[in-house]
Amino acid sequence: MVELITAIIKPHMLDTVKEALIANGVTGLTATEVKGFGRQKGHSENFRGAEYKIDFTPKLKIEVAVPAEIVDRIVNIIADAARTDKIGDGKIWSFPLDRLIRVRTGEMGTDAL
Amino acid sequence: MGSKREGDRVNTLTLKARLADRERQKFFITFLGGKLLGLAIAFYAIISLGPWIVGTVVHAANVPRADDIQTQVTGAINGLNTAWTLTAAFLVFFMQAGFMMLEAGFARTREVVNVLQECIVDTCLCAILFWAFGFAFMFGAGNGIIGHQYFFLNGAEQTYTFNGTFDTGVAFMAFFLFQFAFADTCSTITSGAMVGRTGFKGDLLYSIGVSGFIYPILGHWVWGPGGWLQTARNGVRIWDFAGSTVVHTMGGMIALAGAIVLGPRLGRKFKRDGGGLPPGHDLTIAAIGGVILWFGWYGFNPGSTLSAFDAAGIGRVATNTTLAAAAGGLSALMVIYFRVKKWDMGITINGFLGGLVAITAPCWFVNAFGAVVIGLVGGIVVVYGIDFIEWLRIDDPIGAVAVHGIAGIWGTWSVGLFATGQFGGVDGWFWGGGPKQFIAQVWGNAVVGGAAFSIALALMYGVKMTGTLRVSEEGELEGLDIHEHGSPAYHPEAAYTGQTS
Repeated sequence: MVELITAIIKPHMLDTVKEALIANGVTGLTATEVKGFGRQKGHSENFRGAEYKIDFTPKLKIEVAVPAEIVDRIVNIIADAARTDKIGDGKIWSFPLDRLIRVRTGEMGTDAL
Repeated sequence: MGSKREGDRVNTLTLKARLADRERQKFFITFLGGKLLGLAIAFYAIISLGPWIVGTVVHAANVPRADDIQTQVTGAINGLNTAWTLTAAFLVFFMQAGFMMLEAGFARTREVVNVLQECIVDTCLCAILFWAFGFAFMFGAGNGIIGHQYFFLNGAEQTYTFNGTFDTGVAFMAFFLFQFAFADTCSTITSGAMVGRTGFKGDLLYSIGVSGFIYPILGHWVWGPGGWLQTARNGVRIWDFAGSTVVHTMGGMIALAGAIVLGPRLGRKFKRDGGGLPPGHDLTIAAIGGVILWFGWYGFNPGSTLSAFDAAGIGRVATNTTLAAAAGGLSALMVIYFRVKKWDMGITINGFLGGLVAITAPCWFVNAFGAVVIGLVGGIVVVYGIDFIEWLRIDDPIGAVAVHGIAGIWGTWSVGLFATGQFGGVDGWFWGGGPKQFIAQVWGNAVVGGAAFSIALALMYGVKMTGTLRVSEEGELEGLDIHEHGSPAYHPEAAYTGQTS
């Protein structure tokens, strides 16, 4: 079984998280620039003296598919690497993948990782 | 198998056997003869075409010395000189647009507003400071170290006359505007090496120091009336026509001091630690900004004649400026092509800027051939200068230290090497003047550069002690745009929900 881990992190923590994952045998990941909010809510910005509330804060979403038996370990690694102990450090969640196929070879499941 | 053994046999022929072979002897003689013939043709071409390429030496005694060129002191406004100087002042001012675009393009997305705002506010600040006392320190009469006349432009005469020694014929206020544009350039150069981590309060503080004190006072030494570096030692003085030393070496050295005191941006890994410079975010803007700077240089150098009647001088300076820039762009491109096998644009821009910086001091004193060589070396100096700064683990995001500081040093020295003696009687080493002028250039440049660096180091440490020089770690990671200015440069509307608090 393969699970997909999705983590929302602070944009500048990408390098740290990537290094930590590579060091622990993860072979690939996808990163996307996203905007969103959680309990942190947004922040305010200014334009020509007027202040605006911006609800959506820039974040980075990384997605990693890993074998189900190491999901707990990998999630902890991401959490440790992305932690700055300040508000807005992000979230991590995971769920099982029904299918995983490597396009070039047609390999399935953990073979496709 | 057979052919392989055949090959082995041929290769293992002894040297003696090979020398004895008639065919090989014939080949060798033909080869040597061809080479010698080629060399002879090349030598003949150099000897016969040389004067056309590098120009003939005009004996120094036949040309007017620097003193003769100076016009009489009349005090009357010359309309043409004034119009020409103002035109040049406007062009130099437009270089701000070039700097803003170049620096913004080479910066990362998160600090673009900061870079632009820094240039805008520097300009505003510099205008007020230069009016209040900068111009007085630099161009007022006083002693060799500092001027003290024309505070707040009080007591301005009809024309600016260098304390009665040399009447420019340029209306006083036009001269002021031209010199303000120069001062502004110097203070903008400084910010280039400090992109991405300088707090805005700190930026305001050090800018006051640079535009109000360092540039005007050190500039007075070389350009102001009675500045002490204008005193001849061994019969020669430093010549800096448009500011390789006064503007560029000084700006580069202050930038270096700023980058050292600030330290590198967070997470910046240097080349010898397996990292490298983070790429600029918008090369379109950077390239156009570079070319606008080149365009503005046509005010910077040709305008420094301060006289519309030095028609030959203006033409020569403009052409020399162009040739040096072109040579600098090409040489930097070639150096980098042979290194990375790509036609890298960013370094080509830095290269032609290096050529422009280098030709700034010698543009009036050299001929076209000299300008090409000066620009060529300027471009190469920039590439290796950037390597050197990187090797020192100093974070200079724009390359300001190499482009302005190091190429500025080379440009100032080059007057002492390539000045032909035809123009103003300044004799370079390569044109039979001996090392005298070169030594004067090196000395003058070292004094100004060294003073700028040490004073700026003290200034930057002073600002650092107020705690405003560098933004907080959080602010730097979030990006200076939102942290310091409250607004990102791009697409602020994407997340705008219309609420005003």
